Amino acid sequence: MRSPDTVPATTATTAAPPPARPARPGGRAARGARAAGRHTVLVLTAVALLFPLLWGLSGSFKPGADVFGANPVPVPATLENYRFALEDFPIARLMLNTFVTAISVTALQLAAGALAAWSFVRFAHRGQRAVLGLVTVALVVPPQALIIPQFLMISHLHLRNTLVGLVVPQLSTCALAVLLLREHIRSIPQTLLGAATLDGATHGETLRLVVLPLLRPALGAVGIIVFITTWNEYLWPVLAAPSPEHTTIQTGLRLFANQEGPDYGPLLAAAMLATLPVVAVYLLASRRITDAFLQSGLR
Amino acid sequence: MTTLEVPTSPVSRGHAARRAPGAGIRTRLTPWAYQAPVLLSLGIWVYGPLVFTVVLSLLDWNLTSPSGSFVGLDNYRRLVDEPEFPAALGRTVLYVLALLPFATIVPMALAIMLWKRPGRVSDVYRSLLFLPVVLAPVATALTWRFILDPLSGIANVVLGDLGLPQRDWLGDTSTALWTMSLITAARFVALNILLYGAALAALDRRAFDAARVDGATEWEITRHLVVPQLGGTTVLLCFLCLVYSGQWTFTNISVLTQGGPVGTTDNVYYRLYTYAFTFFDAGTAAAAAVTIVVLLAALFGASSLLRRHRAQP
Repeated sequence: MRSPDTVPATTATTAAPPPARPARPGGRAARGARAAGRHTVLVLTAVALLFPLLWGLSGSFKPGADVFGANPVPVPATLENYRFALEDFPIARLMLNTFVTAISVTALQLAAGALAAWSFVRFAHRGQRAVLGLVTVALVVPPQALIIPQFLMISHLHLRNTLVGLVVPQLSTCALAVLLLREHIRSIPQTLLGAATLDGATHGETLRLVVLPLLRPALGAVGIIVFITTWNEYLWPVLAAPSPEHTTIQTGLRLFANQEGPDYGPLLAAAMLATLPVVAVYLLASRRITDAFLQSGLR
Repeated sequence: MTTLEVPTSPVSRGHAARRAPGAGIRTRLTPWAYQAPVLLSLGIWVYGPLVFTVVLSLLDWNLTSPSGSFVGLDNYRRLVDEPEFPAALGRTVLYVLALLPFATIVPMALAIMLWKRPGRVSDVYRSLLFLPVVLAPVATALTWRFILDPLSGIANVVLGDLGLPQRDWLGDTSTALWTMSLITAARFVALNILLYGAALAALDRRAFDAARVDGATEWEITRHLVVPQLGGTTVLLCFLCLVYSGQWTFTNISVLTQGGPVGTTDNVYYRLYTYAFTFFDAGTAAAAAVTIVVLLAALFGASSLLRRHRAQP
């Protein structure tokens, strides 16, 4: 409902009632054309942005001789490329490595991130701005600028080609989780938190009994973002786990590409195996992810 | 209420200790206890390495030998004197310039289009258009290699059918950098549609309804009411483009061209990586890293000044 004082002065002062719908050139037909134009632009953009995924998917089902064929629909289709990729390279092992790495990084970042985000909201007045600044700056420090010391540390601790060496340094990217979770905790009504304090709840109890249950959707969204980012990480696994048995799928794909050379069928199949789990996770939760960004208050 | 309780109860004693004003070190340490995991992680894996990199940049150290020797600013001098790093810096700027429209104008137009007609259809479009951000970068780069295969890739086949010139898009010095930019552009368009969407969601629709009642056309509303309010977001996204164009092209460079042909697709991040892990020259690589971080910090300062300036009417 619009309150009377927001009605523009022009309509309020003129005696004539405002037109029910502002006059637009053309009327119904023009509006239809505009909608068609809009959908055309959006569909074409989506196809352009997703072209590599669509073309790679179609190519991965084409038999060897036909892989470069111009037909977008793979007829006749075959699963031969997938069978070859799985047999010729430890793709399944790499995917398991990647999954364990991504789940571990996600769990650690969510736990550390929720604790820190909560303390930034609860102790906002106690000189925490500088610390928050440090977290924000960490978000834009390019990871490539830090790889030499990180690499030296992992090598000296003999953690190369281990899960710990893959996972723990990726906590360096926890700043995004902290900042997103902080925005969500800030949107919890102050009265709820105040009521908990009045009832004698400690900071820890308020976090556990009030904040975390309310935060569950946000934790899900941020968790999926961290999971996908870690699944797709390329630079760190190249350095920390160069061996084909211990590395993740992205680095493995690169090794597989070197091995296969120009034989594109199995390569595309492997690329799709590396992509589709993430696409599935995203499609199941896409609204949550986009809403997490839309409500993050970023501007 | 607490005065009625038995004073020796351990629960109430603990309670009183927490509540008492200025209860000392414990209260003051509480925020740090919550932040310890994040601060330790950032300290060990971000800020520690940053300091370590500055020290490394003053050493002559081959990564295969146990230790290095102090050489002062020699590594920085080498960066400036040898042609590769300045050239890579120039190409990094070219990448940013090529990607800027895809980080600003294109996603802004699409985001406004989606925002004008809210509803289920727009939500579906929004989800689909965000998908390139989550696609595995190595897999996408390899698929592009397949698409752009100079002999039989679909790009050249279609161009040939249309009678247009065919090229080795990634192997030709005149087209390689622009092809790489286009490949990376999808991620920027996809992410920034959503970030512009977040900014648009915060706008008050009633002001636009009022203008519409007053007879303003959709184009006038967009041009004079919506776009000016996205100025702050645009400055932020330009800065993000500066930061991420180098990082996001890195994977594509590493998988597709390794900086070639003749260095035309190189950028500073890939150069740093090459110094460190192809030549094992830790000192020069660290000097490159410090140079990159200092340049980014300067740009960050400039962009936040610009944002503050815009925030004041």
